[in-house]
Amino acid sequence: MPCSSAGVGPRALWLLVSALGAGALLGGCATSPPAKAWARTGDPLADGLAAIANEPARDRVLWQYRTAAVAMRRGQFAQAKALLDDALLTLGGISAGDKSARQARSYFHREAKKAFRGEPYERVMAYYYRGILYWIDGEPDNARACFRSAQLQDSDAENKQYASDYLLLDYLEALATAKLGGDPTDALKRAQALAKLPQPPALDAGANVLVFVEYGNGPTKYATGEYHEQLRFRPGVSVHQSAVLKAGDQTVELAPSDDLNFQATTRGGRVMDHILGNKAVFKSATDSVGDAALVSGAILAGDHDTRDVGLGLAAAGLLSKIVSAATTPAADVRCWDNLPQYLSFAALRLPVGAYPATVEFRGQGGSPIANLTKSFTINVTSATADTVVFVSDKNQ
Amino acid sequence: MRTNWAKVYWLFGLAVAALVLGGCASSGVKNPSGVAVTEMRPDERGFVAGTGVESQDLVAVTDKMARSILAIPEIANAATPPVVVLYPVQNNTRFPINKDIFLTRIRTELNTKARGKVSFLSRGAGAQTDPLLSALERERELKAAGQVTSDADKDKPGVSQFKGADYYLTGKLEGLSGRTSQGLSDYILYSFQLVDVRTTGIVWEDKAEIKKQGLEDAAYR
Repeated sequence: MPCSSAGVGPRALWLLVSALGAGALLGGCATSPPAKAWARTGDPLADGLAAIANEPARDRVLWQYRTAAVAMRRGQFAQAKALLDDALLTLGGISAGDKSARQARSYFHREAKKAFRGEPYERVMAYYYRGILYWIDGEPDNARACFRSAQLQDSDAENKQYASDYLLLDYLEALATAKLGGDPTDALKRAQALAKLPQPPALDAGANVLVFVEYGNGPTKYATGEYHEQLRFRPGVSVHQSAVLKAGDQTVELAPSDDLNFQATTRGGRVMDHILGNKAVFKSATDSVGDAALVSGAILAGDHDTRDVGLGLAAAGLLSKIVSAATTPAADVRCWDNLPQYLSFAALRLPVGAYPATVEFRGQGGSPIANLTKSFTINVTSATADTVVFVSDKNQ
Repeated sequence: MRTNWAKVYWLFGLAVAALVLGGCASSGVKNPSGVAVTEMRPDERGFVAGTGVESQDLVAVTDKMARSILAIPEIANAATPPVVVLYPVQNNTRFPINKDIFLTRIRTELNTKARGKVSFLSRGAGAQTDPLLSALERERELKAAGQVTSDADKDKPGVSQFKGADYYLTGKLEGLSGRTSQGLSDYILYSFQLVDVRTTGIVWEDKAEIKKQGLEDAAYR
């Protein structure tokens, strides 16, 4: 005996309301409090500091990275130090139990919900910059500690051939060890083994002027796949291919020791990629189930005898569609967007004094790039204590 | 026969809810929530934020060193309080640290628990790369030049040079780190020495070891 129409209405209505309620609930989970309003000034340092104070806490480390890089390039090392120290407190901690990370793994929160720490190449650079700052402060052992931590950040590559393969980090570890009276052999051998052409310069523990140079534009991130669930890296484009340092009567070729484009793209798959893949499958499956249920429900609802079943199925289909819509498999594409592409280094011996110096950036074929030469003065105050110079093509 | 549609709806709704709530995007991932850091020292366990040098390590290590120093005959049976200079520890780990903090805490522990048994001198570490031997040589030269006191003129009246050290207290942090898909592991060996300035002999040495392991949340792996 068919159900009476008077009995059908409330049940179907209840299911529809439930479906919509669940949709609202699930959709609501994905939202997050908006950032506080703040006015951009156009000054990347001031804007970075404002962003740290006003943007959501999950982006704090990202802004600290970016702003520290700007401060480094302005020679505001104390500012860079403070920013990196705070960022490294987060980075140095184990993320187990992190609520934002747990949410990022759930179906209904974006990966970008997690507190930003960066991909390995970004974490490496945070430690690398802090290491330079320690060396500037006359603490080569702490600098070495940072270079070791940086190399460790790169140690979990999918293909072990690309694990811990920053030449400069091993070379700098060797140099610091030699300067501290230790045996640099192991670290130097690792650096030499990592070298593509050319080989790193011979280790000179007596060098008292250390020049860290960076140039080019680093990689950025984008997402691909049906639901943007696959993280990819877009290599930065750089006209610079090498650099030359001239200081006093010395000229040193600054070939790239490390290439961040290479580092970003050789890390391999992440565990999180697997989770995002699962999210994408779930989103796709619930969407398909929803489509099937809606179509079937509509057909069944057309027949007086199966109207109840049809409406119920349609409601379930709607719920499934809502669940699918609320599922967020998109990969986190927040990135440290002002990194260089190439890292380079030179160590010189200079007597005490002031030396006019230049770093000339060169394009394909070795021709100098106009208007990009950086001029500065190296003030050597001690023949034994290290004078550390940081030069970027983005120096301001 | 009349179908009980209400039951069917409820069962269907429950099935969908179970699918939505019970399903997990992390399936197939081992330890998706990560494993909390565990301090490996046998006499103390606790949850910590990282695998590096932390305050509880500092307290445990310096307490042990201070107790150990007080027990050696050169300190416990000295006729006059030996004079000790603190020399910054060497950091050979992957963790940047404040190098003075270990010796500062050992000094305060010794001064608190054995007031008068040891006296400390303030000396700068000198050049950034000045190894311990250079510092010891410098101390000896200062004594020879009469710029600081030595045993010979300790009791002379009117002597007003800087005091000379009997011992240098220093230490070294050595580390062993590893990272795999199973997690992150850091072992640190803390060793401290008391070195006789005259002979460069090591009159006391002790160590402490701490190993920590942890696994990052899958969202960061």
